[in-house]
Amino acid sequence: MSVRGTRIPPHLRLPIAGVTPPPTEKEGQRLFPTGNFRFYRPVYRDKTPPCNNACPTGEQIQKYLDFVKHDRFLDGYLTICADNPMPSVTGRVCYHPCETACNRGEHDEPIGIRSVERFLGDYGLALPENPIAGDLPELNGTTVAIVGSGPAGLACAYHLRRRGYPSVIFEALEKPGGMLRAGIPHWHLPEEILDAEIAKLTSLGGIDIRCGVRAGEDISWEELRAYPAAFLALGQDVGRRLPVDGAGSRGVVGALEFLREAGLGRPVTVGRRVLVVGGGNTASDAARSAIRLGGGEAIIVSLESETELLVVPEDLAQAREEGVVLAANTAVVRVNAAKGHVTGAVVCQARLARDGSGTVVPHLVPGTEREVPCDTIMIAIGQVQQLAWLPAHLSDGGVITADEHGRVEGNVFVGGDVMRGPSMVVDALGDGKRAARDIDRVLTAQALAADPEPEIMPYQGLNPAYFRHAPRIPVPLAPPEQRRRSQTAEVTLAYSREQAVAESDRCMSCGVCNGCDNCYIVCPDVSVLRDTRENGHYSIRTTYCKGCLVCVQECPTGALEKVPELDFDEPGDVVRMQTAFAPYEGAHAEQSAFTRQLIEQTIAEYDAARAAPAAPGASAAPGAVTAGGAEG
Amino acid sequence: MYHELTVWSRGIIMDKEARDVSSCVASAARSLGYHAENVSDYIDDPDRTNCLVRRYARFGDAPIVDRFVYENPHPDWVVLVEETIIKAVDFLRGTPERAGVLVINSKRDPEYLLKFLPEQMRARLARFVVVDAVGLAEQRGDSPWMFVRNLSELAFDRMSTEGAEERLAIGLGVAAPLLGALVAATGVLPVDAVAAVVADRDAMLRGAAGHAVIDLTAAAGSGPAAAPGTTAGPGTSATAPATAR
Repeated sequence: MSVRGTRIPPHLRLPIAGVTPPPTEKEGQRLFPTGNFRFYRPVYRDKTPPCNNACPTGEQIQKYLDFVKHDRFLDGYLTICADNPMPSVTGRVCYHPCETACNRGEHDEPIGIRSVERFLGDYGLALPENPIAGDLPELNGTTVAIVGSGPAGLACAYHLRRRGYPSVIFEALEKPGGMLRAGIPHWHLPEEILDAEIAKLTSLGGIDIRCGVRAGEDISWEELRAYPAAFLALGQDVGRRLPVDGAGSRGVVGALEFLREAGLGRPVTVGRRVLVVGGGNTASDAARSAIRLGGGEAIIVSLESETELLVVPEDLAQAREEGVVLAANTAVVRVNAAKGHVTGAVVCQARLARDGSGTVVPHLVPGTEREVPCDTIMIAIGQVQQLAWLPAHLSDGGVITADEHGRVEGNVFVGGDVMRGPSMVVDALGDGKRAARDIDRVLTAQALAADPEPEIMPYQGLNPAYFRHAPRIPVPLAPPEQRRRSQTAEVTLAYSREQAVAESDRCMSCGVCNGCDNCYIVCPDVSVLRDTRENGHYSIRTTYCKGCLVCVQECPTGALEKVPELDFDEPGDVVRMQTAFAPYEGAHAEQSAFTRQLIEQTIAEYDAARAAPAAPGASAAPGAVTAGGAEG
Repeated sequence: MYHELTVWSRGIIMDKEARDVSSCVASAARSLGYHAENVSDYIDDPDRTNCLVRRYARFGDAPIVDRFVYENPHPDWVVLVEETIIKAVDFLRGTPERAGVLVINSKRDPEYLLKFLPEQMRARLARFVVVDAVGLAEQRGDSPWMFVRNLSELAFDRMSTEGAEERLAIGLGVAAPLLGALVAATGVLPVDAVAAVVADRDAMLRGAAGHAVIDLTAAAGSGPAAAPGTTAGPGTSATAPATAR
């Protein structure tokens, strides 16, 4: 090969191997700030798990499941109680929108969140001292009026108490609890649990529950308006009537009224053949209670088809185990009576239809009528509330109208069923929480504002390879023959401690860093640090991380994200590498002044170390070794 | 007349794009009768994915002396195939004062990008050119990495990064609009002459027409790069940051 025209600079001969410090050493990381390579920077950013988002009270479900997983039950309990005052109640009666939203449902089966909540709630109730009472603020003397001691009212009082406001609750019935007591049967929610939860709240001080005070009769709208702020949560407890012939006969009762009498412990009787009209959860509860009380049979007649039913599927399955019969797509045409007492009902095939405004219009099929003998008919086709005592412009069709913040007018807010129509306990609890926050805002002259839209973690954002398929621990149930006999024996039973821990361990912690150490382990460049913690767990050594994104790819929860490096433009963000890439003007093999200095220094040290032992005596080759012996 | 072009890119995943830019400039220059050289990079670990790598071309009307020196000692044309490199190293080392032309493939605002250059780097620049080459290139494949290629091509290219064999034509993908912006903004080589050696001629012309230029010669001596006015490079009409497609 010809070398004509070739000019190889002398410095190409400079030895450099072995002088460069390895990058795992501190000096190496300073010399090689390879962070400037990055396309993307890994950033820890927690998202909202779908369960938290689905819960109307905004419970931090992922957080308490993580506590339970690590046997930290008290922390878990306090985490729930930050949002939900009565986990023992919702742990039993909630229709768990969280489990419906759970990403694990796309993986195998959703987490049994409700059962874990119940475990924590019962754990908290069993504690000798109420752990919430510890860090409450002093009462500030601004008393808020609350109408109704159902879940919405109690939640509002509780969250007001957490903010330092005393409250007075007006309850129409003789015992507090609202629909929790008067609408939910004891086999679903034992009375002693409800009593204990309410006692837990009243023991916090500043929550004054006055029973037997009915709004509109014993306390007027004007008196309510005189309070600094008020929260209307009177629910809907007036059942709709069935608009057919014979509906006035004896033996035709409202399912809600039946449940209320039974719930308050008053004597009630039902026949042995009960027909329940309606397709919602009240219908199912009433039918199941009727079987327990009358010892006979119960048929649910619903206009809805089985797929349209509003009954929660698991409730329907339990009802069927207990002997409840479902007659779907059926309507009651007429009630037959003899001597004023029900003897049966004429039903026909039908289907659900709605007119333009959404009102239910039964679509009957003529010629399919048949008679069903029965001695009791319970009506569960919806409910309203008597609101005639309110100014007329504030109510509409049995509900109180409000703006998007649940504000009726002035400092009066509304929540629960009386605002949204029949809905879940947990909706009411969420309304109470929201109202307490908003009442605090109006009383402290802050603007009302909706919560910012959360970023919800989808299943697709997780790394499913890290989650072994694990079946959900089934919720224990009492045997059906036992359930049929008792009005008080619970149908749904509790997880054991081991089961609760094992079920919590299935949580995939969607979008939230749970400190699994995976990023710390997989980082090939020692750039995930645990000693300085950005997100409570880890931080990224941004000057050195090359953006290989292994951590992002291997983050099981999706809490780590890649963000384009150029999105960061804070001063000091740019650390330009000085050592690599031909550090001084000219050619590649020469080193920067700094590196050259380092090389010379190293060589000098090396030479000095070799020279030192021989120093006192005569050297074999005097003067051959001198400091900085490398040729420049 | 003598120019040195250094193209900064990333190992393997967009190495071909960088190589295409430098080799098209060199071959166009040679076709115009200049002495030209295109140099591959054996220094920066070009076999490592995502590593910073460089490609060089140089041409002039006199024979090139440093034929076996890989690096360009005084690059006056610098191309960043990928925008993040603007944060990475001093790619203007050796560039003569107020003589450099920097071309960046980015769809970001040129003023935003300019923020990442410290004063001593700006002082070397005559023109700061931003072209959305990804937007202007002909989209092929669905690779999340190299903008317009797909993974099978990428896999093939892994074997050919050292230039042993080119399966694809030279001057496809983001290389074409980058070349267009570079040639138009520098104004030394005729656009048509370069277009003749670029496979995706249309995309190259789109890049020549649709790029943003910040002229920094006007700001010389007047402190931090003021004059954010976008001016036309030679042979091109001034346009907004190219998002034409």
